[in-house]
This record gives sequence, C-alpha cells and structure tokens, in this order.
Amino acid sequence: MLGISKWSALLACCALAVPNAAMAATQGTLGSTSTGSVSISATVPGRVQISGLTDIAFGTVDPTSAASQAENVCVWSNTSGRGYQVTATGSGASNAFTLTDGTNTLPYSVEWAGSSGQSSGTALSTGTALGSLSSTAINPTCSAGPAASASLVVKMTAASLQAAVASSYTGTLTLVVAPQ
Amino acid sequence: MIGAVAHPTFAYRHGGRIGLPRQLILAVGAICAVQPSAAFAASNNEVRISGLSDLAFGSITNLNADNVLSESLCLYAKAKPTDLYRITATGSGAGGSFSLNSGSATLAYDVQWSASPNQASGIQLAANQPLTAQPNGASDSGCTSGSPTTASLIVILRSSALAAATSGTYSGTLTLLVAPE
Repeated sequence: MLGISKWSALLACCALAVPNAAMAATQGTLGSTSTGSVSISATVPGRVQISGLTDIAFGTVDPTSAASQAENVCVWSNTSGRGYQVTATGSGASNAFTLTDGTNTLPYSVEWAGSSGQSSGTALSTGTALGSLSSTAINPTCSAGPAASASLVVKMTAASLQAAVASSYTGTLTLVVAPQ
Repeated sequence: MIGAVAHPTFAYRHGGRIGLPRQLILAVGAICAVQPSAAFAASNNEVRISGLSDLAFGSITNLNADNVLSESLCLYAKAKPTDLYRITATGSGAGGSFSLNSGSATLAYDVQWSASPNQASGIQLAANQPLTAQPNGASDSGCTSGSPTTASLIVILRSSALAAATSGTYSGTLTLLVAPE
C-alpha cells in the first residue's frame, strides 16, 4: 500500500509526463488565505498591413525623357523577422502594368524597395511575389516609429512614351502583401 | 501550568495511568490548551477562491481591437466584522508582471476584478498589489447555496499590445491570492 508521500511522488511524475496538466486552472482551498490560478493563452496570427498609399499622377509628361514617380508606403508585419512578400498586379490585359485611354495603352514598370525614401528598387513582374522583405514598422499604420517602411516606384520609359498616342491614360496598380 | 489546569482530565489519564514524566505531561497539556483557541480564530477568518477556469483567447482575429475574456467564479470570505477580502494577482511574467510568453516574445495583458459575477469590466489590478475592501457575496465556501458565482475575473489583451506582438502562441499563468480583511 502506498503512503501519502509515495502517492504524491507518483502524481508528480504523471504531471511531468503530461505537459498540459500544468495548464489547468487550480482551485483554492478554505483557509486563512486561498490561492487559485488560471492559465491564459492566446494565438497572435501572422498579419501584415500596407498603408500610406497615394495616387500617382504624372501629369503631362515629356516623351523625350523617362518619367518616374516614387512614394513612401507603410508595410507592417508581425512575424518574428517582420518579414513579408509583395505582389503587384496591373489593370491591363492579364494584369499587365499598362495604363489605357480606353483604346490605347501605355506600359509602365513597377519597382519595390524595402526601405523608404528610395527612387529605385527591385523590379516587379505582375503576379509574381517579391519575398524576403523585412519591415521596420512597429505599428500597423506607422503611426508610431518610422512613418514609412518601403518605397513604391513607378516608371515609364522614354521609348514607351514616344510610342504612345497623345492622350490621358489611367490605370490601377494593386499591391498584395503577405506575412513571411 | 496552563496546560495542566485547562486539561486536568487529560493530564490525569496519561500521567496517572501510563506514568509519563510530569514534564512531558505539562507540555502535552499546553499544546491541547492552545489548539482550541487557534481553531476558533481560523473559523472567524476564512476565504476561498474556486470555480476558476482557464482563459483561452484562441486565435485573435482582430489585432486592432481590445480582446476581453471574463469569467465568473466563487469568492467566499468570512472575516469579522465586515466579511471583506483583499485579492492580489500575480502573473507569470518577469517580476510577476501580467504578460504571456511565446519563447522569448512577450504579450502584456490587463487584469480587472469585480466583486460581482457576470461583469465584463472591473477594477484594474496591478501585479503584486492587493485590491482591498472587496465585499463577500457568497453564503458558503463553495457557493453551493445562493448565487453559484460571486465575483468576476476579467483579462484584457489591449490592441496596442497585440499590434506590437510577434505572431505566435502565447501562454502564461495568473495566480490569485485572497486574504480576509
């Protein structure tokens, strides 16, 4: 027959063998003081957010030279390395990076830099993710810490501008970021 | 001498018939004389916290909002003359702080207490600092009669903490110590 101390040792061994046993709430006993405990758990899923985007208006461009516009954006990621990937798609045929006047098209290129204040970056292909990026943002909207964490650059070559019919062109560039 | 006077029968039975040395008789008698008064004091100041359940937030879907979990539990306090109690909460973070951990990453949380059941908010607790003068609401130590729960424990994951947290599964333990007042 096991004594109390042996039963206690046996129960302690069982508790060690079952990790979740330590996670259960404990109830207090009646006495001059009473102590209880609860286990608290939460899962924070991987999340990213892109913000700070503004429309890009080239205005009237001179076809004899290339045109470029860059803007700072905020990309936030909560993964352990603050990592993310970005995928861009245009509003042209098959998501091509082209603007249109309804009839004619004007191609453009897209570059991405993993830091703000850049006028050039890594060229993106429509629908293809650029990964292994790391954000410096500490807040989903960059309302604290750095005001921006990446650069979006849109370019049009002189050749494309010279090939385009004189008109007003518009289009939409969509950016999708994902945690990595 | 106190023991010998308070328990003459005890001293007589053990000392007279079994024949133990008189010094030992007095010592045993003294212990017997003290026990009733100690038991009397304990019965006047008793507390018990029970009905606690683990709090699992699961996967947080909205990191931009405060996430709140509360539970009702049984808090019994019998403390003359007013049946008040104090409660002290201690987390499993550094220095008893209210924080969960996922490896080396931490996630802070807030703790609130209400001396009423079914509450979604209460009085903010500071780690290791007692919240005093809380009224008893239980009629017995297990809340088997009257209301089955008498107090609320509220745990809050603030949006600011969630936004700052690295993704992962966090866990920790919150310990609640209750004492009569």
